[in-house]
Amino acid sequence: MKSSYRPGRRGRGRVLAAWLAAVPLALAACGQAGTAETSAAGNAPRAGGTLTFGLSTDPISINPRGAGAGNDALYVSRQLVDSLTEQDPATGKLIPWLATKWEASDDARTFTFTLRDGVTFSDGSPLTAQSVKDNFDDIVRAGAKAPSSIIYFTGYKATEVVDKLTVKIEFTTPNAAFLQASSTAALGLLGPSTLARPVEERDVANVVGTGPFTLDHYTKNSEVVLKRRKGYGWAPADREHQGDAYLDSVVFKVIPEAGVRTGALQSGQIAAIGSVPPQNVQVLRSSGYTLVVRPNPGNVFSLTANESRPLLKDVRVRQALAKAINAQEVRDTVLTPDFAVATSILARTTPDWTDLSGALTFDVEAAKKLLDEAGWTPGADGVREKDGEKLSLVTTWLSNFGPNQSALELIQQQLSKIGVKLELQTYTVPELLQVYAKGTFDLAWGNLSRADGDVLRTNYSTAGNNYYRIDDAGLEDALRGQQSTADGAERAGHIQRAQKLIVEKAHSIPVFELTTILALSSKTHGITLGADSRLQQLNDAWVS
Amino acid sequence: MTDLTSVFHPGAEPGAADEPHTTAVAGAPVRGGAREVLTFLARRPGLVAAVGWVALVLPAAFAPGLLTSADPLAASPADKLAAPSALHPLGTDELGRDLYARVVHGAGLSLKATVIAVLVGLLAGSVLGLLAGFLRGWADDVIMRVVDVLLAIPGLLLSLALVTALGFGTVNVAVAVGVASVASCARVMRSEVLRVRHSLYVEAAHAGGARWTRVLVRHVLPNSSGPVLVLAALEFGTSILSVSALSFLGYGAQPPTPEWGSLIASGRDYLAVAWWMTTMPGLTIAATVLAANRISRMLDGEWRHRG
Repeated sequence: MKSSYRPGRRGRGRVLAAWLAAVPLALAACGQAGTAETSAAGNAPRAGGTLTFGLSTDPISINPRGAGAGNDALYVSRQLVDSLTEQDPATGKLIPWLATKWEASDDARTFTFTLRDGVTFSDGSPLTAQSVKDNFDDIVRAGAKAPSSIIYFTGYKATEVVDKLTVKIEFTTPNAAFLQASSTAALGLLGPSTLARPVEERDVANVVGTGPFTLDHYTKNSEVVLKRRKGYGWAPADREHQGDAYLDSVVFKVIPEAGVRTGALQSGQIAAIGSVPPQNVQVLRSSGYTLVVRPNPGNVFSLTANESRPLLKDVRVRQALAKAINAQEVRDTVLTPDFAVATSILARTTPDWTDLSGALTFDVEAAKKLLDEAGWTPGADGVREKDGEKLSLVTTWLSNFGPNQSALELIQQQLSKIGVKLELQTYTVPELLQVYAKGTFDLAWGNLSRADGDVLRTNYSTAGNNYYRIDDAGLEDALRGQQSTADGAERAGHIQRAQKLIVEKAHSIPVFELTTILALSSKTHGITLGADSRLQQLNDAWVS
Repeated sequence: MTDLTSVFHPGAEPGAADEPHTTAVAGAPVRGGAREVLTFLARRPGLVAAVGWVALVLPAAFAPGLLTSADPLAASPADKLAAPSALHPLGTDELGRDLYARVVHGAGLSLKATVIAVLVGLLAGSVLGLLAGFLRGWADDVIMRVVDVLLAIPGLLLSLALVTALGFGTVNVAVAVGVASVASCARVMRSEVLRVRHSLYVEAAHAGGARWTRVLVRHVLPNSSGPVLVLAALEFGTSILSVSALSFLGYGAQPPTPEWGSLIASGRDYLAVAWWMTTMPGLTIAATVLAANRISRMLDGEWRHRG
């Protein structure tokens, strides 16, 4: 056989494929011209079809209370469960969901919820005050086995069934953040058939809620398949579409490699992806994909000092680090304009955030001066020293957010200019928790998302884990103050005071805000992010 | 004693069936002049390229300053993700660091780790093989059963398990890779020892009253080490791959210290926008492994059997 080339069907296919591959490149070359943040939805939503969504990590557990893989696990379990309240992403205010109204006592110890009538779990049983009591008692009984939920139940006394649709939750200590907690997926309500099973059996199956989708099956490290719940009629008011969801089914595919995830979207194998890496944002945006972008509320990415270490006990050293870090350069280099430079220890989308950017200025000379005053003199190798000790700081970090490593390597360079050496150490989550418990680190890099200022208490209160060994009576007073009052304005005052103290005393050095970025194909519509910047329930989502 | 040996030395009995193996390294360029060497090389451009590449990579490992004056850690955000150019021959990474400088400086850690790995495998494997083959009996049984167990576990898996136990770091990665190659070195060494230990000159040394340690070190070891050395050269190539694989998985040096494997790992998220970040270190590893394989083939008697 001679190997002459005949442009048959296969040949044409290949030429076509080459053309298709060239199209995104050509569009990328056009640069800004093709930005399509709002793709041409135009036509009306269509019911039916399947949405395939690429997750970056295996959920591990789809029990909303469980120790799943964080955000990606919640993307899935949020579809299965509804909460008592909904936090409106647009305003940050709580609006009715499974509870039509609620009330907090002035001392923030008693919360009364009135439930919506006619709600049923997907196993057919009705939602009553008793269901709420069973759920909350179950969380407290599970304790450490319900890690995402138990943190909201400090000082839990009891849940009292007042009547069929009224339930009263009592705490022995004030818990002002409980109202916001009632909107989280972690406190989403599970049906009696789930509660009847031991906690261990709720990870890959048996998760029954009142949500718009039900669990079909979950195959570890591969996919989770959800089916539409028929007769769903209690979506909160911030959803455009009430009633049954448009989609017949949702398939969450686990695709850990960022490049593969982006490629799968570009080749049309899947309709939407989460955790879009910043370096691919520009390419996707300019080639016609819809990007869903929302800054995460909560504690921004920051470097927190371990104050039991003699080096960082000195507030001047911590302040010098804060002044020497050029957050703007970090943002411009390793991220995209979708990510904001931190303006406080809380992100802008957190309720009660206050702008402290005036206190977060980049000033190398001031940083050097502070270190001089603290007695650290430049050594022969450029690293400062005092009494024979080098100013070298062990910094822990996790690879849970792609750009972490690049950001820290850049910060390392910035700090070397004032004679501070940063040693980077990465761990797995269990290892890191041990390191935190032992206190064998100087600085910790990380963030924590939650749409409430109470997140600061989780991180910096001496009453909690206090991994950072902070000893600041003023800060502790503010953190307890915000927890002890149901009065919104007073609580905001405490939270703002706490932010100010953390930033001014450089207990933690804010660098940039996390932003959640999803990318959707042009045929996917109506996908939004909730107040916690995690995937919202897919009531409004549809495929064309 | 030395006199006795020389009487039974291979040269004296060219027809002997169990002619002791002389290593090609030692025996190579003695015969033949410069002209013969040139013809030999001229017919083997691949070998010349391999030797040339290694001659370039080795100084990078031990004196990177000779090949680049750029700082592999200096970030320059303005130049980030620049394509290869005259200023940056291999381009820049996401922080604007010169990739050429990082590859050159990465050679240091990667190749030193490889050398340690090969030495660990070669020394431990040789000693075990030598003892097993020479002592026989229960020592042979015990050692070879352990070697069988090691061979039953895939090398990279064994290295992964070891490095997890030892902790992260370049030296630990090197030791883990070295231990995984002990088994094959021990096997080859033992088979060579078994071949040599019954040859006439060894038996003559025994008969002459030499202590067994002396027979082992003076007669058995030098005459059985040839194939093991060739194996070590071959092992050099595979060890580069294993060391880089572990470093790719994040078990090697902590950032920002560059290693070949970790350079590939950090570049893979940028494949769509900066192909050079993974391709350049990848090609470097491939070229070094191929060069090591080609040179080990040369050591395996190519000079002696030249036509």
